[in-house]
Amino acid sequence: MNDARIEAFLARLYVDDLARARFLRDPGGEAAAAGIGAADRARLGLIDRAGLELAALSFGRKRAGKLHGRRTGARRLLSRIARR
Amino acid sequence: MADDLVGAPAAARRAVRTLAAQVPVTLHAVSLGLATAAPADEAHISRIARVVDAVGPESWSEHLAFVRAGGIEIGHLAAPPRTAATVEGAAQNIDAASRISGGRPLVENVATLIDPPLSDRDEATWICEVLDASGADLLLDLHNLHANATNFRFDAGEFVRKIPADRIGAVHLSGGRWIVSSEATGSERRLLDDHLHDVPDPVYELLVEVATRSPRPLTVILERDGKFPPMDRLLAQLDRARAAIAKGRAMAVAA
Repeated sequence: MNDARIEAFLARLYVDDLARARFLRDPGGEAAAAGIGAADRARLGLIDRAGLELAALSFGRKRAGKLHGRRTGARRLLSRIARR
Repeated sequence: MADDLVGAPAAARRAVRTLAAQVPVTLHAVSLGLATAAPADEAHISRIARVVDAVGPESWSEHLAFVRAGGIEIGHLAAPPRTAATVEGAAQNIDAASRISGGRPLVENVATLIDPPLSDRDEATWICEVLDASGADLLLDLHNLHANATNFRFDAGEFVRKIPADRIGAVHLSGGRWIVSSEATGSERRLLDDHLHDVPDPVYELLVEVATRSPRPLTVILERDGKFPPMDRLLAQLDRARAAIAKGRAMAVAA
């Protein structure tokens, strides 16, 4: 197993809707295109599909919150302190 | 949150340092991505280390997760494949964080909505191996554990009994809610750890188990990021946590 390559592949599945859709249609093909070996491709075919969908949704919401500058309570507090 | 203080005005850092001189403060990081087969970003570790140095907290912590790979930012905490490579990578990254910051972080178990692909061992085994290889102590998030145990059908109590009790340095409590996948993926329910809901009963039961086994003083933190209830309801949850610890300690004495 090339672990760094696997992590990069998973990261793409979590953030890239099109890559994830291709993967769900053809797990082996998408994994092969990413250079993942046969044994790992076979195991990826058994991926937790519901979990993949929900995890990707959850990560997407987190990224959207950061992109739109949603601030945590701590950030709001720090801003108020800095203005004093 | 340590990450909120990276790049924050000096006045804000001074304020938190003043606070840390008066009450116990722990800094919690989410962005280092220590649990990966790849080396963590030492420049980013240095930024967090400067915050730790500026604030002088009682302790600092990070998650056993990866947050980026192959140049892709995931945006939050992803559970890595549980393998020997991520055990070794996490240990090396925790070592780097310890060396750069001057203090070993507590490391926290994460909640995951997906059973981490390509894992070859269970979560408790993987965490024990990371603790053993890194020398770091565990920040045991009991709601993360409860969520994973619920979603992936394992016994959370057995998990607690497997973790070396003397390596549990702190505990997080929080709540969550159910979410459902689409029909295309089987309309499966998963418990999401969202820090927006009250602590559920099974988490207090796990806290009793932890207190029964742990020989150390435990710092217990109630995590709540929004949808704040009246303060008395938050305080009542802390009271329940204290009662759970007292019950566990009493059971340990009686045993």
